[in-house]
Amino acid sequence: MTLGIGHTLVICEKPDAARRVSDALSGGTFRSELVDGMTVFRFTRKGEEFVVCSAQGHVYGVSDPAEERSVYPVFDVEWYSSELVDEDSANAARRISAVRKLAAGASRFVNACDFDVEGETIGFNLLKYACGGKEGTALRAKFSTLTEEDLVRAFDDLRPQTGQGLARAGRARHAIDFVWGVNFSRALSQSALSSGHRYRTVSVGRVQGPTLGFLVRREREIREFVPLPYWKVSGVFDRDGKRFNVDYSKEKVEEKVLAEKVRDDCVGKDAVATAVRRSTIQVGPPAPFNIGDLQKEAYRAFGYTPSRTLQIAERLYLGALISYPRTGSQRLPPSINYRGIIRGVGRAPEYSALAAELLKGEPKPVQGAKSDAAHPAIHPTGERPRRPLDSSESALLDLVTRRFLAAFGRSAQRELADITLGVDGHEFKLGGARTVFPGWMKYYGRYAGYRDVEFPAVSEGDRFGVVDVLVDQKYEQRPPRYNQSSLLEKMEKEGIGTKATRADIIATLVGRGYVTGESMQVTDLGLSVVETMARYAPSVIGTELTRDIEEKLEVVEAGSEGETALLRETVRSIARQLSELSANEEAVGKEIDAALVATVAKSFVLGRCPVCRTGELKIIRSKKTKKRFVGCSNYASGCRASAPLPQRGTVKVTPRACEHCSWPVVYVLGGGRPWRLCVNPGCPRKRTP
Amino acid sequence: MKCPICGREAVAELCSYHLAARDRVQEAYPLWVKAYGRMEWKEFLDNVKRNVQTGQWSKEIAEFLQGG
Repeated sequence: MTLGIGHTLVICEKPDAARRVSDALSGGTFRSELVDGMTVFRFTRKGEEFVVCSAQGHVYGVSDPAEERSVYPVFDVEWYSSELVDEDSANAARRISAVRKLAAGASRFVNACDFDVEGETIGFNLLKYACGGKEGTALRAKFSTLTEEDLVRAFDDLRPQTGQGLARAGRARHAIDFVWGVNFSRALSQSALSSGHRYRTVSVGRVQGPTLGFLVRREREIREFVPLPYWKVSGVFDRDGKRFNVDYSKEKVEEKVLAEKVRDDCVGKDAVATAVRRSTIQVGPPAPFNIGDLQKEAYRAFGYTPSRTLQIAERLYLGALISYPRTGSQRLPPSINYRGIIRGVGRAPEYSALAAELLKGEPKPVQGAKSDAAHPAIHPTGERPRRPLDSSESALLDLVTRRFLAAFGRSAQRELADITLGVDGHEFKLGGARTVFPGWMKYYGRYAGYRDVEFPAVSEGDRFGVVDVLVDQKYEQRPPRYNQSSLLEKMEKEGIGTKATRADIIATLVGRGYVTGESMQVTDLGLSVVETMARYAPSVIGTELTRDIEEKLEVVEAGSEGETALLRETVRSIARQLSELSANEEAVGKEIDAALVATVAKSFVLGRCPVCRTGELKIIRSKKTKKRFVGCSNYASGCRASAPLPQRGTVKVTPRACEHCSWPVVYVLGGGRPWRLCVNPGCPRKRTP
Repeated sequence: MKCPICGREAVAELCSYHLAARDRVQEAYPLWVKAYGRMEWKEFLDNVKRNVQTGQWSKEIAEFLQGG
């Protein structure tokens, strides 16, 4: 391949984005070619030659020059090709080599990576290391969608990069996170190794530590929980032949004798409406989506984990169907062209009537409180998909589209009723609600989540017959475990992590074996890591230090040059806590190692043996045949419960029991879709044809 | 010294987790007595042990206290 002299080299963050940029700027006339295995795009625009290439996420990463994983503390870090620091980044060196070749013939450089901290860092590093120090002179293309209109506008308005606060903050964040993670993880892993068992990475990242701390605090509350009994009193009252369920005014009656007295006092008597309050309230439309809100709503509506939602949203963005998703903004500026997007959305039959209605007036959206200088709130582009979408993409696009349309809707009106009914000195409540004007709810459809509860037309003094009074014994519920959505919300509230990284941190906690399952149950290892850190390095699991660093990084993002001081300050803090940990290496090692052993052992226990009812069914590997099977821990005492297991794939223990035979159920992963298996070879369900 | 329930390092006679759970169980007893009018300690422990809302460590301590 020969390169013309003086071309403009455009660096995008992902290959799909590079193709979109080339398509938009060339009007579809671009040519593609391979340079060191990387597809690059070439075209001429307004007499100028353009070459568009792409990173694939981060092609540079931070590491320590010594690369000796048993050594800590480590405070000297350098930027390397990502494949040297992360085995998942296999093609980084080839990409860097390709960019180097393309940069050699370029006279102008454009950073067209996503305009946020990570995108700026990716572009900055490529311009600095692969393009020979062009990070200060390159131009910036800023866009929030990959539509032709937005991309052409961005490249007609290329500007010099100023300040580079985002990139400096991004590089500082990478360095701090590396120094933090590598030192504490090595300290814990080495301590456990010194207690005599095999090496296993026990990591504690800067945001991971406090997040695990939240989970452990909740886990302890759950495991220590002792429920208190209470009684719920309710009634069935009759008016004009129509029956209504009513609740006793005190939600929980703490003593059985008092609850029974209410019943005995009221049965067979009449109730009189002593107070009737009706009100109409306005319910404003929900704010446009930022990434956190989208992740929470997708979890509520579809059960998608935050990381899955982010992945789907990224795909929709790369397909030019929604705007850039990693945004903190809840605001939609007029510059996005409200009418144009609504018109585009309305071309789909399912939204045409809604869009037509909005276009009758002058559309003006509700704005949320949070803003983000880089990108607007997540919104649809109004473009039609160029490829068939899978069901999760369609679902998320529908959610984003409806939320966008809802933002332009008028406030809904709900009528609420609160009726107090007196019986022999006791009070019961009858409540109701109905939507009298749907407003934005019509646009948001099934996601709006308000339901109507019927209530009678009643005035003070009206009488009801008491048909029945029920006394139900209940117990207090233990606190709920965090799920991925509520944990994300907690992280946001506590100000730790960034909108781009929170979902990955949650996934890492699962990957490291600190929590299991969807219910985010903390393992012995997770408990032990937090307990150990609480004793010897409490700041690592507290939120204060992490939040303080985030706040200082935000100041750097905004243009201040405080990153060097922040790095120094962080290093000093890490060094202090490391010395405490290493002074107690033996004790730390014993605790972590014991938890590691317990966690590994538990991962083989399926549950109580349904045959002898005292032993535990476990996954065992035969010493003779090397095959795995299920056997009972009471084998030596005579229990012969056993079952074969698939020999391929990974068998994961679940807390579930088979509904047909009560034997344990496992998940089998690998070689296709994961499947559930009742381990009982004689399960009645397996005999059903 | 090891915790007789879970084998973890004991703080007093129990590990820190089961000590905390014992406190929760003991605090709950008078509240259960008040709720039902009367209840024996052993019956209370049996209820706590069988209740699906009771946390794992509190169930274990209830069983331990019943045995003691």
